[in-house]
Amino acid sequence: MEDLTSHPQDVRGVDVAANDLSDDMLLRRFADGDAGVARVLTDRLGPRSFSVALRMLGNRAEAEDVTQDAMMRLWQMAPEWVPGTAKVSTWLYRVTLNLCVDIRRKKKPDSLSDVPEPEDGKASVVDRLQDEARKDALQLALAELPERQRQAVVLRHIEELPNPEIAGIMGISVEAVESLTARGKRSLAAILADRRDELGYDDG
Amino acid sequence: MTMADEDLKLDHLFADARRDRPTLSNDLVVRIQTDAEAVRLEALNPKTPPRRNVWARFFETIGGWQGFGGLVAASAAGVWIGFAAPTFLPDPANLLTSQDTSYLVADLGFDTSFLENTE
Repeated sequence: MEDLTSHPQDVRGVDVAANDLSDDMLLRRFADGDAGVARVLTDRLGPRSFSVALRMLGNRAEAEDVTQDAMMRLWQMAPEWVPGTAKVSTWLYRVTLNLCVDIRRKKKPDSLSDVPEPEDGKASVVDRLQDEARKDALQLALAELPERQRQAVVLRHIEELPNPEIAGIMGISVEAVESLTARGKRSLAAILADRRDELGYDDG
Repeated sequence: MTMADEDLKLDHLFADARRDRPTLSNDLVVRIQTDAEAVRLEALNPKTPPRRNVWARFFETIGGWQGFGGLVAASAAGVWIGFAAPTFLPDPANLLTSQDTSYLVADLGFDTSFLENTE
């Protein structure tokens, strides 16, 4: 898969040879006590975990906690990792999604609780929502999808993972992934259309 | 707006989302690196020492060299008393080998006359 995260400027002062190693090999070297590879793994895998967590939770601080927790589990799991059995990124996506589900379960009801209340005399809640919606209509629409549909849509259309890998992450068949992404996309289009009518904006 | 237009709009939103990938804040990178280093050091220097063999643990249980010395002294004293008991102690060998059982039965304090009638 194309590596979307390892830009040269991300890797500050790290052993260049480590950048050419697979995730498997880096994890093995970390388990063997190599301090330098942790930074390469963080630069390579951290943004993926964070991107998914942010889309699933819609809250930066929570997404950062989830990513830190998921990476912590990666470090702890390193000695038991068997190279070649699965992709490290698949494992990390699964852990990230599970942590997101845990957080959402704990803080139900989750409706709009992340939007701060306006201070007196400032913009009303509706104005603020409208502003937020313009900024990221997709995020608000995603928040209305059922959990599994949202997971499938985020992994397919934002992370651009192939369906078999999504199936591995979510523990379901490829057909089920196709069904979830198709339904999710239809729901999103409908939500966006409704929202456009409600909030009165035409451009995105 | 038709459903096809909505789909197109959605595809544009997805494309925007892919382009504006969130990056890790420096603070988060530091937090993750700190965790990694803690896990790495813990693996190199585990807090729980490896299990030692049974004799090493027995030796530790009796108090190391001090305890072992005391145990040796007590054992030597026991052997010495066995060979050359001080006069104020009864000779254990005599107690064990005494053939006169009438003393022992009488010492129980029961009426032993029935034993005489059977003879």
